[in-house]
Amino acid sequence: MADANAPKPSSSVKLVLLGEAAVGKSSLVLRFVNNDFQENKEPTIGAAFLTQKCNLPTRTIKFEIWDTAGQERFASLAPMYYRNAQAALVVYDLTKPTSLIKAKHWVAELQRQASPGIVIALVGNKLDLTGEGGAGQDGSEGAEGEEAGDARKITTEEAQSYAEEEGLLFFETSAKTGHNVTEVFTAIANAIPETSLKSTRGAGASSMANRGGDEQRVNLNGPREAAKEGCAC
Amino acid sequence: MFNLSSFVQKAQSAAQQLIDPMQGLNLTNSDRNPSKASLFQSQFRLPASQTPLYEIPAELTIPPSNITQGDKDRDRGWHYAGKLHLSDSYICFSTTATSFVQSASTSSSAAFTGQTHGGGPSGNGFTFPLCAIRRVERLNSQTFQFALAITTWNGITQELAKDKDVQRDKKDFREQRITIHLAASRPACERFCDGLKRGLRGAVGNVGRYKKVIADCYSEYLLRPEEMKNVNPPDAGLGMVFRYPGDPKKLRDRAKMRLWAEYLRDNGRNATLIRQPTFHKLIRVGLPNRLRGEMWELTSGSLYLRLENPTLYVDTLAKFEGRESLAIDEIEKDLNRSLPEYPGFQAEDGISRLRRVLTAYSWVNPEVGYCQAMNIVVAALLIYMSETQAFFLLSALCDRLVPGYYSSTMYGTLLDQKVFESLVEKTMPILWEHLVKSDVQLSVVSLPWFLSLYINSMPLVFAFRVLDVFFVEGPKVLFQVGLAILRINGEDLLDASDDGAFISVLKSYFSRLDESAHPKSENPKLRAINRFQELMVVAFKEFSAITHSSIQDLRMKNKDAVLNNIENFAKRTAIRNLGPESKLLSADELSSLYDRFYTVLYERQQRDSIIQEEQIRRAKASRARGAETFTEHRDHGIEKGRVGLGPSTSLMDYDAFREFLASVSKWAISDTQPSPRRDPSSEKDRNGYFGSFRRAESNPLSPWGGGPEPADHEFMQRLFRRWDVDSSSTLTLQNVVTGLAHIKGKRDIMGTITYFFELYDDDGDGRVDREGILRISEALLFISRRGLEGSLSPSNSSVTLDGMTEGDKGSASPPIGGTVNERFLGSVSAFIRRCFEYADPDHPSNQHVMSIERSSSPGVADTDIPAADNSAFAIGDDEEEEEEDLLAFEDATDNLKTTKKKPDLGSVPPAIGKPDAEEGRKRAVSKAQSEKANVALDPSNPLHITLPTFRMVVLADELLEQFFESSFPASLHIIDGLPNASSQYTSALTTFSNMGFGRSAAGSLPVSQPGIAGAGRGLRGVLDNLVTDASRVAAEVRRRMEEAQRELEKNALPGQRDDDEEEEEDIQGPIKTSGGYGGDAERRSVLSTDRDLLDGADADAGAGKANEGSRQSMLLDPNVPQGRTSTSSSATQRIVEFES
Repeated sequence: MADANAPKPSSSVKLVLLGEAAVGKSSLVLRFVNNDFQENKEPTIGAAFLTQKCNLPTRTIKFEIWDTAGQERFASLAPMYYRNAQAALVVYDLTKPTSLIKAKHWVAELQRQASPGIVIALVGNKLDLTGEGGAGQDGSEGAEGEEAGDARKITTEEAQSYAEEEGLLFFETSAKTGHNVTEVFTAIANAIPETSLKSTRGAGASSMANRGGDEQRVNLNGPREAAKEGCAC
Repeated sequence: MFNLSSFVQKAQSAAQQLIDPMQGLNLTNSDRNPSKASLFQSQFRLPASQTPLYEIPAELTIPPSNITQGDKDRDRGWHYAGKLHLSDSYICFSTTATSFVQSASTSSSAAFTGQTHGGGPSGNGFTFPLCAIRRVERLNSQTFQFALAITTWNGITQELAKDKDVQRDKKDFREQRITIHLAASRPACERFCDGLKRGLRGAVGNVGRYKKVIADCYSEYLLRPEEMKNVNPPDAGLGMVFRYPGDPKKLRDRAKMRLWAEYLRDNGRNATLIRQPTFHKLIRVGLPNRLRGEMWELTSGSLYLRLENPTLYVDTLAKFEGRESLAIDEIEKDLNRSLPEYPGFQAEDGISRLRRVLTAYSWVNPEVGYCQAMNIVVAALLIYMSETQAFFLLSALCDRLVPGYYSSTMYGTLLDQKVFESLVEKTMPILWEHLVKSDVQLSVVSLPWFLSLYINSMPLVFAFRVLDVFFVEGPKVLFQVGLAILRINGEDLLDASDDGAFISVLKSYFSRLDESAHPKSENPKLRAINRFQELMVVAFKEFSAITHSSIQDLRMKNKDAVLNNIENFAKRTAIRNLGPESKLLSADELSSLYDRFYTVLYERQQRDSIIQEEQIRRAKASRARGAETFTEHRDHGIEKGRVGLGPSTSLMDYDAFREFLASVSKWAISDTQPSPRRDPSSEKDRNGYFGSFRRAESNPLSPWGGGPEPADHEFMQRLFRRWDVDSSSTLTLQNVVTGLAHIKGKRDIMGTITYFFELYDDDGDGRVDREGILRISEALLFISRRGLEGSLSPSNSSVTLDGMTEGDKGSASPPIGGTVNERFLGSVSAFIRRCFEYADPDHPSNQHVMSIERSSSPGVADTDIPAADNSAFAIGDDEEEEEEDLLAFEDATDNLKTTKKKPDLGSVPPAIGKPDAEEGRKRAVSKAQSEKANVALDPSNPLHITLPTFRMVVLADELLEQFFESSFPASLHIIDGLPNASSQYTSALTTFSNMGFGRSAAGSLPVSQPGIAGAGRGLRGVLDNLVTDASRVAAEVRRRMEEAQRELEKNALPGQRDDDEEEEEDIQGPIKTSGGYGGDAERRSVLSTDRDLLDGADADAGAGKANEGSRQSMLLDPNVPQGRTSTSSSATQRIVEFES
């Protein structure tokens, strides 16, 4: 494991993904956890649960990711999943205006109903469809709106200003190319206040005990979890 | 089921649910006493069309099977004591305690004591469709007994029946013949037999269908004699092509198949199967692959659904072919994600089967549509059964076995999660405590188990074995298995301290289900038991106390909390997601608005269903039946429409809208007697736009429930149409919020005035014609007839009185309401007058050239028609008429109604605004004539007011101004509503007639109106006569117009002609309008007095506010000449147009 040789404190963070159906929530998670992109072979009933570690200079964050189903009628189940979440990824499809509206609804819901101090990141996915994210992870940013044949329907400015208004982290990503994906999670990891890490899930205190459990968990969860790359940060 | 009427009904309701959707949950008001019919249907898994008719204690005797069980001990066969039930088209026998109170009379035994609680066909017995019965004989061998011998069509397929020789040749073919001894009094037995006879007679016609349906069952092929197996076997799912999951050797599939073949041979197959203990044992060890689909179909009861309407699946697909829907989009996304490991779903064949079944179901049950997890369940079904079978099984699942699981709110899922949690708490308190302490939410783990029936959680082979039992024994199996999983993993789970760890423990458990449960045991037999077997044992032994009824009890206990949760969430979300207009209303207002909106819809649905039930009950009662007839006792409290259950509608039709308005504003409550002010044209409106909302008036129960009967005024219709922005004839919550936000939200008088004006500007051209003006005034009177609300200053002069500062609380009667309301009548009559006074002449027939004309050509013809004259004479005319016709007034209005209808019937499609256009055209015609005749003052001279005029007229009157500023918005009490006492409002209407204005008005008038005091009784009396009732004014004007029109028509051409034709004829033909002239002459004669009158009236209305009067005239001046020019120019233009 990535943190096996690091004496850094490890703590787990519950993160929930919300957003309209088919905006790429599961793909983002898959990219982050497995650095992979494929048709999601596992249907999301209620929510899929995955874990991934993220190494920060001072500590290790273990994300417990709840990837929720996007179908509208599952929305009433969402409170069950965002309960106690310390972070949320609200995803929209930047080629689909309605998905941003839905994302705003989710942000409003989280701000009112989720635990106070939840770190929310607004993520516009499918940047590859705009011809901007094609450069992949090493691609340079700031090349927005130059390409022709742009499927983008939501400008960066629009989403950005909304995010600033609401105090959200904001990223545009492509799960397909991997552009900005790990950056999102790193930013979230950094944004989580140290205090909330210690108090919430108590993972830091009993990290040794937990680590044993982690090992087992990884094996049990099949090949996906066994990917040893860890977080690329 | 099989009689013709219900057959037709079935065909009609093909798009409805096949089983009563609430039946499975029994979430009704009479929860503790579910209806006998629904219990009966659940117990034998019968369609909702089946109601229990007779039941009778009986003993079933199954003769010994001559082939396999030929030993002497069993010569006497098997005997089971139980109860025999007869429904419309089924005869059922079960040994499980019957669901009903023994002593209760059959018709009223809604209460219920048995253990099954409609739990499914768990006992021994049978469920025969009557059409599967070939022969019933009464055995008379013993007189003290009443016995029937039943012979079924079992094993006699179509070909066999045709080919009698083959049948006779077959040595081992044996008819299925069972004996039933009825253990009841002779009359009871006779009655039962009579019922059976009737049923059998009715079923004869369905034998063919029955044989076709069972031909799809694999058992028919399995039991064929070897030499006849040349035909293709029926479709037993994708497994036949892509192999069934699991290793057949390990599953011992062949052995199971042999056992089943033997059982079916002895006890009947598919629809004629008799359940004996071996049957349940065979199911517990797991069904063989090829029979699995058929057994699922049989035990779940979906076979009976298929039998009822065999072509529903194919028909549905054909009917909706090529149609698109949201559900289809969602289905499409998941097709590749449904059991993707199974080869059948990596191939187009499997994918398209899945697509078709899910799509067909989404059409048949649009309320459920498609829910993720259904794809997984259906994919699993399709491995073992044909598309048609899977389709019906999905119906049985959604409607009965896991009701509400896949609904739009998933309330069933959430409810069962709560039930599961409380079961865990009860049976495993230590684990529960641990979960609570470590803040692990159990449903995070268990929800997918239930939602996908373990298919997604366990390896397929094991999940299917859970399903095998689940379809026989019902939803309790899901709970038993879930509890067993937790029990077995209890130790590990106690170590897990968060959601993640919890999930991991269980994931690992599921992945090792095939391992030995006791790997270290010395005993090889024990070692051979795998973890799944252990799970089944724990589930059904340790948790045998979990029964259908205990689940039902817990569901009842948790139902309200769950529904409230869902409703709160839905409300929160809905309100938050309303558009930007909603920001104009306060949070409280939105909240109450939401509640009111859905309350109205919900209550209406409740009432509808009660009314329906009542009608069904009456229909049934009228059908003569024996004394023992069960009256169908359906639950009245079906809570369909409750938001938490997934509202069956979120659309408000016009009647619901009226009810909604009546709950927030007193003017929307009807006067007990039909409103005299009812607009005659609403008759035809109803036939068109509003026609579809009319229900039969013959409803025995009040269609408005306990609430007040809402009024039906033209104003409300206009409001509805205005709010109905997408012309769907229904309002969404969004529509209502937006509509109200525009009235209540802005608190801006100009906005409200504009809004009102636009309500009456039918074609959106910025003008309201004479008709519209009258209607506006009618609406003003309509709204104010129970008194005005809001802040009204008592006097026209600014600060004479003090008391009335804030009446904004919406009190039903402001302190000096009476007088204010009286004065408001005066304001309205002044309004009409002023409107006509300042109106612009108009030519609606050529509005399209109007704008050009206005700027280009100077006036030619009728500059000598001052607008003021028009109005003066319109009103003066009425006044005069009033005196003439006062007694015959009612007749006049009646005439008006009838005559008005006539011209409209022929030519006018009853769309919005059309009548006005029609009238406009007519007016144009008469105008042309009058101009030709050089008659300046025609009663039907079209005119209109524009928004600025309207605004000015409103602002000219302080009361009107206040009406628009606060009174009208304040009259809608969104939050506090109205005290629900309709009687309070039926009296004390403020109308002209009620006030007795005409005779003794002057005395009762407030002193604060110096104008009246000065003008004296006489003047006031004249004025009051003038406007005795605004409806009369309106009616009179209309009548005049009609009369003039009729005169014109009469004179222009004899005989009946279509209006369209007449128009042209009128213009070209010789025009001799003696009646018209006469009328005009008369009118002209009163003109001067009218003028005086108006002067007086002006003085009256304006006396107290000289300031405003002057302001008003200043405002007016620029308008008048402009109006005139445009009129004159367009007038010429119009004539040209008509002639060309």
